[in-house]
Amino acid sequence: MTETALPLAGLRVLDISSFIAAPAAATVLGDWGADVIKIEGPDGDPNRTIMQSSANYPKGEVNYPWHMDSRNKRSLVLDLKNPAARPALDRLIAVSDILICNFPPPVREKLRLAYDDVKPVNPRLIYASLTGYGETGPDRDRPGFDATAYFARSGLLDAQRYEGGPPGVPGPAQGDRATAMGLVSAILMALIHRMKTGEGSWVGTSLLGNGLWSCGVIAQAALVGAYLPHRPPPERPRSALGNIYRTADDRWLQITIVREDKLWAPLCTAVGRPDLIADPRFAETEVRRRHSADLAAILSDEFARRDYEHWRHALASHDVTFGVISRPQDVPDDPQAVACGAVVETAIPEMPRTLSNPIRLGFAEQRIAHAAPALGQHSDEILHEAGLGAAEIAALRASGAVR
Amino acid sequence: MSEAEPLPLAGLVVLDISSFIAGPAAAVALADFGADVIKIEPPGEGDPHRQNYKSPNYPRRDNQVNFPWQLDGRLKRSLALDLKNDSARTILERLLKRADVMIVNFPPPARERLRLRWEDIEPLNPRLVYCSLTGYGETGPDRDRPGFDITAYFGRSGILDAARYEGGPPGISLPAQGDRATAMTLVAAILLGLRRRDLTGKGGWVGTSLYANGVWANGTSAAGALIGAKLPPRQAPDKPRNALTNLYRTKDDRWLQLLVVRDDRMWGTLCEAIGRPDLATDPRFTDREERKSRSLELVQELMPVFASKTYADWEAILSRTGIPFGVIGRVADVVTDAQAEHAGLFADTTNPEVPRTVNNPIRLGFARPRTSGPPPAVGQHNDEVLREAGFSDSEIAALKKAGALG
Repeated sequence: MTETALPLAGLRVLDISSFIAAPAAATVLGDWGADVIKIEGPDGDPNRTIMQSSANYPKGEVNYPWHMDSRNKRSLVLDLKNPAARPALDRLIAVSDILICNFPPPVREKLRLAYDDVKPVNPRLIYASLTGYGETGPDRDRPGFDATAYFARSGLLDAQRYEGGPPGVPGPAQGDRATAMGLVSAILMALIHRMKTGEGSWVGTSLLGNGLWSCGVIAQAALVGAYLPHRPPPERPRSALGNIYRTADDRWLQITIVREDKLWAPLCTAVGRPDLIADPRFAETEVRRRHSADLAAILSDEFARRDYEHWRHALASHDVTFGVISRPQDVPDDPQAVACGAVVETAIPEMPRTLSNPIRLGFAEQRIAHAAPALGQHSDEILHEAGLGAAEIAALRASGAVR
Repeated sequence: MSEAEPLPLAGLVVLDISSFIAGPAAAVALADFGADVIKIEPPGEGDPHRQNYKSPNYPRRDNQVNFPWQLDGRLKRSLALDLKNDSARTILERLLKRADVMIVNFPPPARERLRLRWEDIEPLNPRLVYCSLTGYGETGPDRDRPGFDITAYFGRSGILDAARYEGGPPGISLPAQGDRATAMTLVAAILLGLRRRDLTGKGGWVGTSLYANGVWANGTSAAGALIGAKLPPRQAPDKPRNALTNLYRTKDDRWLQLLVVRDDRMWGTLCEAIGRPDLATDPRFTDREERKSRSLELVQELMPVFASKTYADWEAILSRTGIPFGVIGRVADVVTDAQAEHAGLFADTTNPEVPRTVNNPIRLGFARPRTSGPPPAVGQHNDEVLREAGFSDSEIAALKKAGALG
């Protein structure tokens, strides 16, 4: 590897997966230099149309989720249900390093895509499996989605609610993308193992496992019988000085005052209520806690009078710190989002910026994103590289196995 | 692979010079798969995370045990080292020379003061993989701000704002939820560093930030925002766009996700199952269009029905009739869930106080994560670690006298 080479250059990845967690892991491998071949059925990965089909996706003119999850991949359309496709698939497996698969177990069996099926073709292959709920057990065959497996089943959504309120709201693909990093780590472990032993292996992770890992504190607590009470809603906080308040423009300020002795008076001044400083109901921490609902009512009236920008300045000028609750639309223009490398430029004219994966390496830069492939855009090229002749490719096309 | 075969990270020495959760949790995952992790922490109190179990924001029980420390301190050895003490530098440098990985999460100014930046360390051990975690990145206006998962991962990234019902307050993040997700990225970054070392013989700097991980998790909304697309507001359960794919509260304050997508076929069955056959003939709700356009009326009919029975009752009733619904699990149920065992989510420990723990989510066909015992006390392995690094008993005594070990 030369100084400028990417750490995964020279590795070939077969991304036989759909939707988001597993394809996003393949994207990360591609960002670091791997040659990622996306194998899709004749209808293509449904993630190609999710922006329009999902009610919970931001709608845009540009197919941004597809570009993001398929950048720098090449597309091969192979109808795995067609028996004629198998020899071509085996040829590809024989010359690949990593295969990523997220079919539910019964589909893998039907398609002969379980690890035991492909290992004889290439014993050095790293087979990376993503499931919703694990490889065995009563729910192993259930298709898993991040809302159901990562968030709902793990207990995250139930724990993320205000007392008496509805469950938390997962963002689109939020758990999928976090899970992608678990899958990438698993694959890299296998690469290290292969380097030491020369052997390929099975590795994997599940959406449920990643959801539970992320809420590991409450899961570990539940294992010893300790539980987190649901958070009181903002109008009945445990402390009015550790609470959230809505501004006139429907944004939220997170006030977290730990040193109440020092910051109580500056807060009263900042919100234009110096009279509260001498109010006996709020004279010191103990009584303030007892009257927290009264104080929260007063403060929420005050904060609701002015916009977020006003409060940002007013609080800062009195040295009252608060947590920023950004809106997604604030992130693109946040200089720190660029500084930390989260927002990067692309080579895609219709989508000039995208999000990098969160891994930073001092010795290599992530590849710049090129447009996601059209369905089957690279079929001929990929098969040709795998050693298939023009006549073979023509026959595959005639059989309908390749498009 | 047999149990006796070495774990993939066996033989690697990791210095965990980090505190709280994301950095230490990454070190735990490395330890799970065989790395020798030495936690370097301040003498006395040690990592402040040792005290988090007392925090009012952490789950409680009577006779509170230090469960988070089991999770984030397992399989580590503790060396209590006062990095501000000059004599400590000798120890640190000798450890760094024989280490493979170092994890650090001090904000940049503290690193500079303690001479713990990569450029300070590289000359000592060019084969080291130096792993940096920051709140907001290594440069930029906020690089020096200490970052926590609630502020950097959740607040700043837009996740909390996106996670709200229309007109409602921001979403809630759980203790260390973003830290633990970020830990997987740190693991991946470290493994990329190790791979590069295997290929070139050179170590290097790797890292991530809580902010970048929050943005990554929120990537769909953030990528939408980059082209000006906005997340549609999420309707509150009492004002759904479609009352048949909506959340309902049960009698025991649990929530049921009704998922009747094919209500053209299932409407009659649903009315029957919930004991409201009258709704099936109600002229307000005769077809799909009406049920959708009158979703606010329909939800008013359905809410009291679902509130009249417990979650378990509804689970039994709906399962019997084939009406699709989603489970909103409670973490209390997950720990006794048969599927959780199959998915390898939990593991037994040899620590009687915390007999089970949460596995990291990585599964390897060729190795199982190590079993953990009790996590270390502050400085528990001082002498052992120093002896391994080649210090004699008299040197160790001198270092203690100099205050390097607290």
